[in-house]
Amino acid sequence: MSVMQAMNIPPADPGLDAIFGALADPTRRAILTRLAHGPATVTELVAPFEISQPAVSRHLKVLEGAGLIERGIDEQRRPAKLRAANLAQAVEWLTQFRAFWGSSFDQLDDLLKVMKQQDVRTEDE
Amino acid sequence: MSELSEFVIERTFDAPVGMVWKTWSDPELLSRWYGPGVETIIHEFDLRPGGCWRNEMRWGENVDLSRMDFQEVIEDQKISWLHYSVDENWEVTSSPKMPDWPRSILTTVTFHDEGDSTKVLLKLEPVDATPAELACFSAVVANMGKGWGGGFAIIDEILAEMRA
Repeated sequence: MSVMQAMNIPPADPGLDAIFGALADPTRRAILTRLAHGPATVTELVAPFEISQPAVSRHLKVLEGAGLIERGIDEQRRPAKLRAANLAQAVEWLTQFRAFWGSSFDQLDDLLKVMKQQDVRTEDE
Repeated sequence: MSELSEFVIERTFDAPVGMVWKTWSDPELLSRWYGPGVETIIHEFDLRPGGCWRNEMRWGENVDLSRMDFQEVIEDQKISWLHYSVDENWEVTSSPKMPDWPRSILTTVTFHDEGDSTKVLLKLEPVDATPAELACFSAVVANMGKGWGGGFAIIDEILAEMRA
């Protein structure tokens, strides 16, 4: 099996840590932003980012491994395309986790305020 | 165990410990604040070690069911429970949106009497987690504080572009 074929194997169920790891790099986030506007080849991605072709290819490999993009089957061009569902799922999960206790505790603050006011009124009676 | 395999949040409430305890131990009060911006329905609440809390959260078309098995209950001091995602029969299942999320998470809440106020410490740690579950939990916890600087804004942009 050639190296190209080996690299063509679709990633098996990328984990959340792979997604966040891929997103941790600013160049890779910029590549994703570019791909949000439509598929692009390595050559098309090299120009705006002022980095070498092998460097772009390495970033694309990380993004592909995390399931955030897919590569076309055209052996010469292999345009990269965003797989937004995986990105949306990871970010939504993180946002929910981040919000859960913080927002709940804000609500608890409000409830305690109401309870304290009721206490004061009871004492006044 | 690495520090990323637990998540700790601390918050001080402007109320005496007895009142704060009441909001965690009375299901009528608990349902009024537990769950962010959702309707919370408590189907069962048996606050004692080995007792069960069956919780439903509703928002829009969405329903989220979870079951908490109480471990330790010490009035005005401590509650801990094992949190499970459950299916419509209240059977433990993996989280539908995130299969690698730990199935069982130990939640420990301690209450610290500070006179007119109460400090609450809440700790989440996966229990009997698989390596994939631990990695998933660690990934979320590791990204809680950092927020990647401006990274989130860019991701929001990407997602907005995709929806457009």
